[in-house]
Amino acid sequence: MHPQLVLLMELQDLRAQKRALHQDSGETVGLEEEHFNLDRSRAVELLEEKIESLKDTLTPQLRTRYERIAPQRDRVVVPVIQGTCYGCFVSIPTATAGDQIGNTLVETCENCGSFLYIVE
Amino acid sequence: MKLRDLFRPETVKLELESEDKDDILKELVELLELDEKSEAILFKTLKRRENLGSTGIGKGIAIPHCRSLVVNELRLAYGRKSDGVAFDAIDEKEVRHFFLIVAPPLEVSNQYLPVLGKVAQFAKDPEVPGKLTELEDPAAFLDLLEAHGG
Ligand SMILES: [Zn+2]
Repeated sequence: MHPQLVLLMELQDLRAQKRALHQDSGETVGLEEEHFNLDRSRAVELLEEKIESLKDTLTPQLRTRYERIAPQRDRVVVPVIQGTCYGCFVSIPTATAGDQIGNTLVETCENCGSFLYIVE
Repeated sequence: MKLRDLFRPETVKLELESEDKDDILKELVELLELDEKSEAILFKTLKRRENLGSTGIGKGIAIPHCRSLVVNELRLAYGRKSDGVAFDAIDEKEVRHFFLIVAPPLEVSNQYLPVLGKVAQFAKDPEVPGKLTELEDPAAFLDLLEAHGG
């Protein structure tokens, strides 16, 4: 797997954690606070710090692409399942999907711009 | 959705070998049989969740959990470490029972939170830790879930 794609996936997982804690009346927050005693604002802070430091390890070009799409959507990396981009539910050209088997490249969806992660 | 149906005998390990928190998390992740890269990403995500606050909820139970791209369906595992391991639990006691819950970022059926809640509820039943300690094989674990209505 491409190391920069691994980074993008880690960033995405961190963003998902942060988002889950941001939903004010969200069920996640309730569960985390009720069962796990989580200090939500401290947790969000720690996640933000981690996200920033991980972003610094992206190549400048990928960082630009990341910054462009990240604010608009929850998921920057989306799975491709059976040839369909799960960011926009449009089929990925077979050639792109073929090139990306093993996730050795950092490819984006032509339609929605999301980074692609092929699930076999 | 019953908890019983989300576990498989292969994802239940009654004798965890690891001796510290990180290795326990790795050993639990291994039960899901992902590829090596995915295991590494999942471990990091779980570890980051632990860094926000331990998922050790006390009474010898921990429920490491997260959402991660590396799974495409909700995955659960149970591991037991009879001697116990330091896990920064809320009550500062050693942890013996580990429930791992991993969900994809996007889930058609939205089972993650209800399942997390159910597992926490199950684990907090005062009878449960003792019964988990007595388990002799993975099938008995599944039976225990069933008996508790999960
Ligand atoms: Zn797309």
